Amino acid sequence: MEEIRPKVIIIDDEKGLRIGTQRLLQSENFDVDTAENGLTGIQMAKDVDYDLAIIDLKMPDIDGITVLKEIKKARPNTVCFIATAYASYDTAIEATKLGAFTYIPKPFTPEELLRNLNAGYERRILILESERLKREREERLLELAFEKSRLNTIVNSLADGVFVVNKDGELVLFNPAAIKFIELNDIILGERILGILPPKISELIEKILGNPAFENKTLSAEVELKPDRGLVVEIKCSPVPHPDGSLAGVVAVLSNITETKKIEYVKSQFVSMVAHELKTPMAAVLGFLNIILNPELKTTPQQQADYLNRSKNRLQGLVEMVNDLLDISRMEMKTKQRELKELNIGEIVKGTVDFLELELKKKGITVTSKYQENLPVFKADNNEVTRLFTNIIGNAIKYNKDNGTIDVEVYTNKNYIVTRIADTGIGMKPEDKAKLFSEFFRVKNEYTRSIGGTGLGLSIVKRIAESYSGRIEVESEYTKGSTFTIYLPFTK
Amino acid sequence: MSDKTKTPKKILLVDDDYDLLEQNRMLLESKGYTVVTADSVESAWKTFKDEKPDAAVLDLIMEEHDSGFILAHKIKRDAYGKTIPVFLLTSATMVTGMKFGVTTGEEKEWINCDAWFNKPINIDELSTKLEECFETRSM
Repeated sequence: MEEIRPKVIIIDDEKGLRIGTQRLLQSENFDVDTAENGLTGIQMAKDVDYDLAIIDLKMPDIDGITVLKEIKKARPNTVCFIATAYASYDTAIEATKLGAFTYIPKPFTPEELLRNLNAGYERRILILESERLKREREERLLELAFEKSRLNTIVNSLADGVFVVNKDGELVLFNPAAIKFIELNDIILGERILGILPPKISELIEKILGNPAFENKTLSAEVELKPDRGLVVEIKCSPVPHPDGSLAGVVAVLSNITETKKIEYVKSQFVSMVAHELKTPMAAVLGFLNIILNPELKTTPQQQADYLNRSKNRLQGLVEMVNDLLDISRMEMKTKQRELKELNIGEIVKGTVDFLELELKKKGITVTSKYQENLPVFKADNNEVTRLFTNIIGNAIKYNKDNGTIDVEVYTNKNYIVTRIADTGIGMKPEDKAKLFSEFFRVKNEYTRSIGGTGLGLSIVKRIAESYSGRIEVESEYTKGSTFTIYLPFTK
Repeated sequence: MSDKTKTPKKILLVDDDYDLLEQNRMLLESKGYTVVTADSVESAWKTFKDEKPDAAVLDLIMEEHDSGFILAHKIKRDAYGKTIPVFLLTSATMVTGMKFGVTTGEEKEWINCDAWFNKPINIDELSTKLEECFETRSM
């Protein structure tokens, strides 16, 4: 490591002394500069931060006291010595007052000079160290202030509401989100708020405040702040301890869980709907069996066979419904592994029509089809797309009239592969059309009475189409027929 | 049980499930009642007005989830309808284990019916309750 050499400037008009002192100090490992008059000395001491300065009191241009003043002004930490042959008590006092470390009478012995300079240098090191400490402390204070304001900014930016009450129930901190949630716009710090908070929230806070032997336990509750799931928050209250472990207050965090609650509600609605849809066919089967088994009713073997057949159909429908529900649930949970392949929609539609040939024959339905040549590919899961068209074309058969027709057309329009499937079936009333894609909805009228179905087919179709950013449109005229148009975006 | 010497009581039976409608018609007829049926709220109201039944047995959940309630209210608000017993059929009990009952005055006001029955119905319980209601009303 390189040795640190004290930097010294000698300001003296007397050349012999300047050079002699420089040599002496250099041999003692000082780094020495010299100036032959006051003004040069001042300039040099301003330019370089010298550790030490030896200033001759009497110089021809300006006097040493002025030089001292100027150097101290620019470099207050440079340790200065006044050297003079005209020593007087008064000048010594004045020089020291002006910031000189000490006063060296001329002529001086090398020992005298070195003793003084060494003491001065020690002083210089002390000054620098205390300066450094002071600077560090100031920096840390600044950091602390910055940290506090940053913390405030963060707390104020939180989407969750946060507020803190002390153990007297006075508000000591809050952020804007908290005020928004509990709608207390006029609240101020220091206010007692337990009485004005929603009762459920106050209760939680009081529970913690009222237990002096509090454990580090968080209490939480769900609070409906606006009725009918308008605003539901989850509140979590935790004790805030003093450094000694005693209770200082309570911090409360409010999170908006309205959306989750809404989803939960829709889900529970769906579950109760599913339960009903499953229950009805079971009740029908059970009812038939009760009738067959009831000796008082004296059913004929023919009646019994009819009831058993109808029971079988209901159970078959139940199995289909469970399968559809499982499909929907897989789609919802996205657990179904999709195998994305480049598909030709025209071929899939054609294949579906072929697959349903038997059903078509049973009702004597004719299919006319028109497929655009060189259709672009659609990247999707083959099973899902086949399911989509099986449901749509299956419906076009099921709800068609005997000897009716189905027109199939596949073509491109803008960014979509469009499949249009038009039937000459029973059609729909506008009010039924509106509910067509809802789960379990089935049109009920004299025509549909004998047609079985789960009420889930079109809901599945819609889910599949939308999961590929596609859509489905329906036109229909009651007793005349319906047209389903499916738009699927093609892969460019 | 209806007395064979009197004219059989006429029951309006409403359900949108054709199997259940047929089963319940058969069961009611086996107890000696005359049964008129309807499969929607609309046709039920028309049949009610035309036939003036002695009692109504309604499925709770028809096309909309509260159709049975609405129909029950409508019948109970009718000048003739308020004089006859109205029963509601539900499938909720079997699935949820929930037991419906019309006990408090408040419930009676809200659920405008005289009794609840679970599906499939126990015809003995239902006809006993019907007879009870007829008896109370004739007093």
